[in-house]
Amino acid sequence: MRNRLMGLIMASTTLVALSLAAFPVAGRQASAVKSTPAPAPKRDLSGVWQFQGGGGAEGLAPEKDMPPMTPWAKARYDTEKPGYGSRATTTGNDPILRCDPMGFPRVIFIPTPYEFVSAPGRMLQFFEREHEWRPIWTDGRSLPKDPDPTWYGYAIGHWEGDDTFVVESAGFNDKSWLGATGYPHSEDMHTTERYQRVNHDTILYNITVDDPTAYTKPIVAPQRTMKLLAAGDEIDELVCVSSDEENFTKKIREPAASKPVK
Amino acid sequence: MGSRLARKIILAMGLLVICGSAHAHHGNSAYDETRTITITGTATEFDFVNPHTQIYLDVKDEKGQVVHWSVECNSPGIMRRSGWTRNSVMPGDQITVTLNPAKTGVPIGFSGGKTGKVVLSSGQTLAMSPK
Repeated sequence: MRNRLMGLIMASTTLVALSLAAFPVAGRQASAVKSTPAPAPKRDLSGVWQFQGGGGAEGLAPEKDMPPMTPWAKARYDTEKPGYGSRATTTGNDPILRCDPMGFPRVIFIPTPYEFVSAPGRMLQFFEREHEWRPIWTDGRSLPKDPDPTWYGYAIGHWEGDDTFVVESAGFNDKSWLGATGYPHSEDMHTTERYQRVNHDTILYNITVDDPTAYTKPIVAPQRTMKLLAAGDEIDELVCVSSDEENFTKKIREPAASKPVK
Repeated sequence: MGSRLARKIILAMGLLVICGSAHAHHGNSAYDETRTITITGTATEFDFVNPHTQIYLDVKDEKGQVVHWSVECNSPGIMRRSGWTRNSVMPGDQITVTLNPAKTGVPIGFSGGKTGKVVLSSGQTLAMSPK
């Protein structure tokens, strides 16, 4: 009897572990059981990729792993009312609620795909979210010394070996959040990304955010996985339309958080 | 005794698996992610728009009263990759929607993530997210 009980518990635990491994939400998920993917092509990231994460709930890093903030960042943080995380509220002020751009790096951590396209002297990243694109210069130039700040910054990239594309970025404005759980950044933010294509279907993604104006130490995000979507899956048009968003807020978002009328 | 305990553990773990699988991009704190329910009724409107698709339907409650439900869904791009089109639901269609209801008890819900789906009047099931 005890053995049967233990067997059931172990089977259940395995089931939960497998389910949590597949926990990543909207968007195409990696198949749990799949034949071994083909090797990665050399120095090639082209294709449509899907971040394997926690849906819209994803932050740059778990809240417990965020380094201490500077007083400047803490003052900003205290004004943020995110829809996710330990401070989640139904009456938030997430900039995306008014269709402000996601900005970088937040756009990476959402459940809609992006496409890498290689062009002479640059790699292009097209995001479904906002129908936005990001050029990553590969012609050997350096980051500009004093770029005008933008939502998606200025990016340069190079290959390390045949499988890892390294991207340095700076020149961001300070209007976007680092993720769905809030957390500010300053115009001094500098990011380093590593897209390591470990096989035909998989990129292992690492990003470090260095922003001494906002954080006392660099933020080293946990490694994430991106999966290649099937041939035929294309980038869709996901623009945030202010008028549609206002209608949605009036018809669903605000009423959902309200008390029922008796 | 032991098997009853085991059943409880399995049930709890099953609930854990069901929970936490749905997320709207702006925040899900308005919805009870520990509850997944299905409602059946007559579609009145289907807004296949960014960034939130919406389904509206009239559902009869246990007293026979018609309750107007509003359902938040994923973005059209995610749903298109699951087989949806702007014509998947038409006004007058009988549909069954699986969703997480609002915590406050108002007839509003979120249908997305891995559990969200709609059974169309044709009998076809369309998931909110690609497999």
